[in-house]
Amino acid sequence: MDNVLDIEKIQELLPQRFPFLLIDRIVELAPAQKVVAVKNVSINEGFFSGHFPGRPVMPGAMLIEAMIQASMVMFYSGQVSAACRKPLYSLSSMKAKFVHPVLAGNQVRITANAIKSESSVAIVAAEASVEGKEAARAELIFRLEL
Amino acid sequence: MQDLNTEIRDIIAVIIEKKPEEITGDARFFEDLGVDSMMALEILAAIEKKYKISIPEEKLAQLTTLNQTIAVAKEYMSQTNG
Repeated sequence: MDNVLDIEKIQELLPQRFPFLLIDRIVELAPAQKVVAVKNVSINEGFFSGHFPGRPVMPGAMLIEAMIQASMVMFYSGQVSAACRKPLYSLSSMKAKFVHPVLAGNQVRITANAIKSESSVAIVAAEASVEGKEAARAELIFRLEL
Repeated sequence: MQDLNTEIRDIIAVIIEKKPEEITGDARFFEDLGVDSMMALEILAAIEKKYKISIPEEKLAQLTTLNQTIAVAKEYMSQTNG
């Protein structure tokens, strides 16, 4: 598999769609081990109309969701028939730290590494950064259907 | 320094949200303490992080009690220490 995925390939792997597809491109991929994804944050994002008027800050929950989506690409990219219209995973627990706000106009780089995975459970360490500066990091625990 | 057994019991207590004293050496994780596969993997990862060791996922099946978990941790700690 090519180690770079465009948005069409991402949509073959993930069930999320507008306005909830939160990664634009995969720039590095080692199936079930590591993924690096990019999210271009536009002022046209729906959440900016309310979060917050006059001060467009990307909600932390959306950054976590982007980390989750990148992680799922990492786990499902090796699957031949991964095209799914239903989620094959659920987030079970997480610890997160938000260190710098993500604003409209930023390009967010999301890196996720699988720390531990077993048949139906996985632990992922993820980080979101903007221009090399850390914005958030999280440890995520998933249940998977592989 | 805190005793290894107590440290591991405390790590498990936080993950499975039980009081440390409920986790006796032979209490069965799955049957007695309500541990599921996700918590078991989390316990494994937490012990790896704390003691800077690497335990293969295949060992998960052996993490059935506190005593068993301590035995597995000690096995890999001794390997790391040469």
